[in-house]
Amino acid sequence: MNEIIDIGAWQLAAAYLLLAFPFGIILWYRVPMLGETVVALVRMTVQLLLVGLYLQVIFQLNILWLNAAWLLVMVVVADASIVRSCNLKLMRIALPVFLALAAGTAVPLTLFTGLILRRPNVLDAQYAIPIGGMILGNCLRADIVGIRTFYESIRTTEKAFLQSLAEGASLAEAIRPYARKASQAALAPTVATMATIGLVALPGMMTGVILGGASPATAIKYQIAIMISIFSGTAITVALGIRLTTRTSFTPYGLLDPTVFRNQSKK
Amino acid sequence: MDAVSAPNALEAKDLDIRFGKQVVLHGFSLSLGPGEKALLTGPSGCGKSTVLRCFLGFVVPDAGLVSIEGATLTADTVWRLRQRVAYVGQEPDLGTGTTAQAIERPFHYRVNASLRHNLDRIAELFEQFHLSRDLLHKDIGSLSGGEKQRIALVSAILLDRRVFLLDEVTSALDRVSKQAVVDYFRGRQDATALIVAHDPEVFSFIPRVILVGGAPHE
Repeated sequence: MNEIIDIGAWQLAAAYLLLAFPFGIILWYRVPMLGETVVALVRMTVQLLLVGLYLQVIFQLNILWLNAAWLLVMVVVADASIVRSCNLKLMRIALPVFLALAAGTAVPLTLFTGLILRRPNVLDAQYAIPIGGMILGNCLRADIVGIRTFYESIRTTEKAFLQSLAEGASLAEAIRPYARKASQAALAPTVATMATIGLVALPGMMTGVILGGASPATAIKYQIAIMISIFSGTAITVALGIRLTTRTSFTPYGLLDPTVFRNQSKK
Repeated sequence: MDAVSAPNALEAKDLDIRFGKQVVLHGFSLSLGPGEKALLTGPSGCGKSTVLRCFLGFVVPDAGLVSIEGATLTADTVWRLRQRVAYVGQEPDLGTGTTAQAIERPFHYRVNASLRHNLDRIAELFEQFHLSRDLLHKDIGSLSGGEKQRIALVSAILLDRRVFLLDEVTSALDRVSKQAVVDYFRGRQDATALIVAHDPEVFSFIPRVILVGGAPHE
């Protein structure tokens, strides 16, 4: 297999010519998203350039604690994003969500790099950072869906929830149907992706491995391993995210504490 | 009080409850002995449902105490005390699935597991409350308000509790079904019942009426 071809600055600039099509459509139909599209493009470019520079340094140094610190920073950013997207108060659930994300990323990542790839250093930058990033990105999406579904469904069907408590349910028993619904909502996209992978589109990791010069045979093995790792990570993080946040979101009487929401609905 | 030695089945003492700046209850007290029944009445929004919810720990009073069968309700005791009370709320939400699944659901909880044999009484109670047994296989969402009220009542009765907290349980019922509910509680000499009712004449056999948010209530 050939080595991957680098993209020069002018060639990359040429990629921006493709923007003529979406901008043409936005202007032609007067789609009201011109401003946010420009901001998103600028942000993408600046963010990726900075991350690229930083990762370049991290990959060259490849120091264990620095790699771990980078992964930790990614978890913290994902944590804040989840809390914001779930309309919950940062101080109340940031720590439990952080722990859930860290576990959901660390467990499959360690098994991937240590057991599957047999790297002596499980935090080797070349593997740990891209694989950890892929797992974490999916954990982030799953937690947003799972945690939001969990809390919103308890809030919207409060009567049924209270009825279960009145009937003698423990808190764990009362929240079980909501945790089930939330887990299903969070895991369903990964299950659907696994069912159609390779048929609808070539998945990201497989594409990356092929572009990196490996054979498609190697690429599919990486893809299978990463899909299983993602599925495992999302299951761990959603289950833990719900379990750990309930400790700070319910009153000692088993009621969902309304002050956990950033925008409290008026009763 | 007809039972001198036995503790009150339900007791509220000097309750103060505020929702934000709104005072819902101030210095409210009541006590019901074992087997006693009382109607809780008063204008809309006066706090009748709030009183019932206090006995379940769904509303925590700003001041005062509530107790069930002599035990004060606190964050520690609430889980145990809820097992002594059956609650049927206004417009009950029975969850999803079929009627049979909704009735069986509480028996999956650890504390009710030993009561599963009570499910054998479904047919008898359905007949008593004029419910067709065909409803058992229907989706709970397709039932009328009156059917839901009676099914919630059946579900509460199957849990074998000694104390009933009933919130407007006959509001959507026709005359015949209302009478069935009245007859059931008239026959339950052993059960204590605190009943919120807008139309107290339905439960005319209950002489004790506690007014909330109006004239002196105890």
